Amino acid sequence: MNDSSRGVEIDPPYLYPEYRSTRLRAPLQPLVELPPGALAMPGPRVPAGFVRDRDNDLTAHGAAAPLGEKMIVSGRLLDEGGRPLRRSLVEVWQANASGRYAHPGDTHDAPLDPNFTGIGRTFTDDEGWYRFVTVKPGAYPWQNHASAWRPQHIHFSLLGNAPVQRLVTQMYFPGDPLLDVDPVYNSVPDAAARARMVASLALQSGIEGIALGYRFDIVLAGAHATPLEARA
Amino acid sequence: MTNRTPSQTVGPFFHEALRWKDAACVTFAEPGERVVVAGRLLDGAGEPVADALVETWQRAPTGRTPAPATGAANPHGFGRTQSGADGAFRIETLMPGGETPHLEVAILARGLLKALRTRVYLATEAQARADPDLAPIAGSQRIATLIASAEGGGQFRWDVRLQGDGETVFFAA
Repeated sequence: MNDSSRGVEIDPPYLYPEYRSTRLRAPLQPLVELPPGALAMPGPRVPAGFVRDRDNDLTAHGAAAPLGEKMIVSGRLLDEGGRPLRRSLVEVWQANASGRYAHPGDTHDAPLDPNFTGIGRTFTDDEGWYRFVTVKPGAYPWQNHASAWRPQHIHFSLLGNAPVQRLVTQMYFPGDPLLDVDPVYNSVPDAAARARMVASLALQSGIEGIALGYRFDIVLAGAHATPLEARA
Repeated sequence: MTNRTPSQTVGPFFHEALRWKDAACVTFAEPGERVVVAGRLLDGAGEPVADALVETWQRAPTGRTPAPATGAANPHGFGRTQSGADGAFRIETLMPGGETPHLEVAILARGLLKALRTRVYLATEAQARADPDLAPIAGSQRIATLIASAEGGGQFRWDVRLQGDGETVFFAA
């Protein structure tokens, strides 16, 4: 969404040369404005049976527990008016504790964990809350520039209530020294907006003696009430 | 001032996490005319974009918002697929209803810090030019980049050029 009329650009530009992969993939022609409401046809409405029990527990799918620092990531999915998005799909994926994705394209020479695929999904509840059990992802090197390392992060994909709300983002960790030198994080021009991608420590939402708690709220575009039938 | 969460790239490692079984074959509550939209994604050097996520959303054949699905099925009206090594993608669906049939398309990939928004019209160029949504480009040759070519039997061809010559029209959203 273009927020320039409100004075602050929230999203990154398409072309951000410091992130090398944008150079040949960013459109260079001006974007065309659609009339308001053009992307507002509500949906898709994901059926309740789409998510199974424990899909939100990334530590529960191996023969044993995965390696790494166990943590709970929870937060609320809201619109710009502060209203919760109810029964809305949240999909996540991440590297394992060593900084390796269970993905054939990841050639980083760090160990795979047979007990961790790094994939989860859940629905928000009636107050917009989601919750994942996982382990803290490791940082990992990438080819963007010399000595390039991605900060620790978890990918989030949100469908929202309509295409205008579709969002893919990344959750980062407070105090990570790699944030200052990461072109993906720093592609967001506004410092306050960047800070909204950083989770906060939330000790009270962890599990005593077992898992550390982090809180990450996500705010999608628009301020439309959730359709009532979506609460079913 | 908005407090919206910024967009970040989907990166190169989303494939298993965002793969939905059979989601390249879009379902609806009602019958309709089967159509296939297939094409390739190309970057500014003309090279295939081989690691993209492509999503579609559309009206039901009746012209209405797709009815909710039940059980463990994919949501009605929504397509999701991934481009192959040659940049090719393929969505099988039913012809959308409404004045000027089209699919809303989102493209996400490594190197895209936010989703690209576009449309593919399963209609004639004259029909697309008459769509009030496209008024800002009704007089532009670039409108042709939004129109799939009908190849008969419900098959449509639509290539997407992210950058450079013949760059596809993308929407601010």
